[in-house]
Amino acid sequence: MTTQTTTADTPHTTTTDERTGLIALPPHIARATATAGGALTVVSAFLAWTWTPAFPGDLTYYGYPGGLQWLVLIGGALTALFGLASYGIKGTRWLVPAGADSAIKLSALAAFVTAWYTVIAISVQLGGVINLEPGGYVVALATLAALIGALALPFERPQLLPADPEDAGWDQFKHRAGNQWATTKAAFATGPIAPARRLPGYAEILIITAVLALGLTVFTYGIGTEYDELFLGFLMTAGFGFAALNKAGLIARVSLLTARHRNVAMIGAFVAAAAFPFTQSDDQYATIGVNILIFATVALGLNIVVGLAGLLDLGYVAFLGVGAYAAAMVSGSPSSPYDVHLPFWAAILVGAAVSMIFGVLIGAPTLRLRGDYLAIVTLGFGEIFRITVLNLDGTSGPDVTNGSNGISSIPNLNMFGFDFGAVHTIGGFTIGRFANYFFLMLLVTLIVVVVFRRSAESRIGRAWIAIREDETAALAMGINGFRVKLVAFALGATLAGLAGAVQAHVTYTVTPEQYQFAHVVPPNSAFLLAAVVLGGMGTISGPLVGGALLFLIPNKLQFLGDYQLLAFGVALVLLMRFRPEGLIPNRRRQLEFHENEEAPATLTKAGA
Amino acid sequence: MNELPQQLVNGLLLGSMYGLVAIGYTMVYGIVQLINFAHGEIFMTGGFGALTVWLILPGGTTLWLALPLMIIGAIIVAVTIAVGAERFAYRPLRGGPRLAPLITAIGISLALQQAVWAWYPGATSSLTFPEIPGGPFHFGSVTIQTGDIFLLTAAPLSMAILGYFVMKTRTGRGMQATAQDPDTAKLMGINTDRIIVVAFALGAAFAAIGAVAYGLKYGEVNFRMGFILGLKAFTAAVLGGIGNIYGAMIGGLALGLAETLATAFIADIPGMQQLGGQSWADVWAFVLLILVLLFRPQGLLGERVADRA
Repeated sequence: MTTQTTTADTPHTTTTDERTGLIALPPHIARATATAGGALTVVSAFLAWTWTPAFPGDLTYYGYPGGLQWLVLIGGALTALFGLASYGIKGTRWLVPAGADSAIKLSALAAFVTAWYTVIAISVQLGGVINLEPGGYVVALATLAALIGALALPFERPQLLPADPEDAGWDQFKHRAGNQWATTKAAFATGPIAPARRLPGYAEILIITAVLALGLTVFTYGIGTEYDELFLGFLMTAGFGFAALNKAGLIARVSLLTARHRNVAMIGAFVAAAAFPFTQSDDQYATIGVNILIFATVALGLNIVVGLAGLLDLGYVAFLGVGAYAAAMVSGSPSSPYDVHLPFWAAILVGAAVSMIFGVLIGAPTLRLRGDYLAIVTLGFGEIFRITVLNLDGTSGPDVTNGSNGISSIPNLNMFGFDFGAVHTIGGFTIGRFANYFFLMLLVTLIVVVVFRRSAESRIGRAWIAIREDETAALAMGINGFRVKLVAFALGATLAGLAGAVQAHVTYTVTPEQYQFAHVVPPNSAFLLAAVVLGGMGTISGPLVGGALLFLIPNKLQFLGDYQLLAFGVALVLLMRFRPEGLIPNRRRQLEFHENEEAPATLTKAGA
Repeated sequence: MNELPQQLVNGLLLGSMYGLVAIGYTMVYGIVQLINFAHGEIFMTGGFGALTVWLILPGGTTLWLALPLMIIGAIIVAVTIAVGAERFAYRPLRGGPRLAPLITAIGISLALQQAVWAWYPGATSSLTFPEIPGGPFHFGSVTIQTGDIFLLTAAPLSMAILGYFVMKTRTGRGMQATAQDPDTAKLMGINTDRIIVVAFALGAAFAAIGAVAYGLKYGEVNFRMGFILGLKAFTAAVLGGIGNIYGAMIGGLALGLAETLATAFIADIPGMQQLGGQSWADVWAFVLLILVLLFRPQGLLGERVADRA
């Protein structure tokens, strides 16, 4: 079904304005150009783009796409597919339940950005466009053609008010910029999602499995990218490609399916995650995997506190540190002042319990007051934790934590005869030390996900949301605000302690420097908060995705280095201004943030 | 205990610096109920502003001549940044969810810290701040360092100016009205947007004076100096009763005294020998904050109920 037929059905859009694209071209030519451009992009990915293997990825072969060429190929294929679907060709219509045009635009953009980035990177790194083979020119032109065609696709123009000629120059400029922004936004807008035919249950589960497998592939590819250019290209293609799928309505379809089969989807997601170490031949990327898991799990724990209960905790990493230190001290490490070696289940409980105690100690005095006090007290607690741990070294304080050297040589775990430090072979796959811990951490993640889900849907979870939305009204409804908030805060602390106990064993050593407010290496409080805000407050998948992204980006893009935290600070401000609901918005929150923008739309519908 | 007078003076000096920075927290909080986390960093940029003026002045300029220019430079930098942050990061979010401005404040604070670290020449480590020449002054058993003379004069003077401004001028009375009831103030013809900008600017100006005092006192400025000091200044504001500008100064003095005395004398308490000394100062200040919140959340002077949600 094309967008044109959809819009023809609805009467209120039959306004006088003619439907043109951002670029003036006849619609049928535009559509053909976009589709053909996408197809040509696919073909050009099989050509050689440069003559020398000096550019990483070796793009010199005919017939064998390599590195960035694969990414461009995917972008081109998506463009071509959506283009075909927009012609209404049978068998492709399921691809675009929300209309194809916006999806074409975004996937053409994905291919264009990645291809041009590659071509420019080749020219810059190797010194001049002379280094491009004909394939390089072909791909550049093909993606450009696809993009021009896509942007020329007609769309429904918003009704704009002309600028008031009596306004001052600056106001006129602002008004015109606002109009242009509204037009651009409308160019990428989608129609309503066509209702889906109910499939038999097994087919739906199969689709979920396929989607999860695809997700695992994309994620594994991202972790395994070997050079900066490939990772940047991956981010571009994945970002725009995801946006294209979203505009096509496919993401909404899939989330409808996962909502219908929630348990299957959740178990499937964990099986997919557990399959990750089996896709790796050595422990190098399993290290990244386990660190992502730790970071994402802690972010999810923070999401209970920030996202559900609306309490801003700026020292969350200190609770991770408390758990890690507590577990490390009873782990039998030679540098721990206590000569005890508890089994792991006891150590992890100690870690969680000590974190909880600190959570209550910090929460009890502050949660009776306005939320802002909690923010600053937790910020202080994060810093004081670090200073105290540094001081408890035997010279400037009692000897408890071994000061800046930290507690080192934490012995590897050994559970049921399974040595976590050793390399195992399971069914022909080699599972190294970090992969072992990856499985253990995955279990902790599962616990946190289950706790999050169960508590969010229970009485107390609803109380948290009520408190977050309007504390006064919630109190009037008989919710014991202080108790409910304290439970959220202490629960968040406990989960962080749990993760900390595992983290201590993964990293061998716990030092105060690991637990700072802001630091270049995640996890730290600022990154954790950013992961929650970026991913989406109040959702499960949001912080997991946000955490993975925020871990991978600094890890893969070493050249960001010194400017990472700066970019972060600016990104936080921009995020809060332009997309406060995050990448994966909670439906309720999205409405809350965009109240004003949604309201007129419903009004006009009712009025028409 | 014969070092007690000396420690009292040290505590009061430290406390008046906290008080200068705390004014910014308390004024902004009193009017828009926002903890401006970036205030500590605005303080820090003020210090760097002053240092920049000193560095571009021709060599051989005496500090007495340079000091007024340095203060003006610090104030210009700090006020510009504070007003810019208000305009672009806080104002668009006003009336939105409560968490939003707090998160942008964190972002601004991180960005400012890192921007100075990355772009100010040599700021990756501490930079030396000019020192006032002349030996320390002795009054009986009390010694006052030359660097503290500035603090000794600037703090009471700025408090007096602020008191006059808030009580006697039209804008000052507008600030009081806005703090009491923003909606009614608006109905009375007060431009509350302007009042909020003035509050941010005034707070930044006092923080800048505090930063110059910090530089002269410790002989250096660094990109991290705003973080802990901002925390403590906020503690001081809470201690004095947040929203009350005299409270900020009194809270600052109380916190400075408590911290200095704890650092100096806590080791004398049997069983706590190891918990004294400078390395524990921050910890005691934080413990004090927790205790105040536990027992007197409205602060020493605050008649306002702390929980106005």
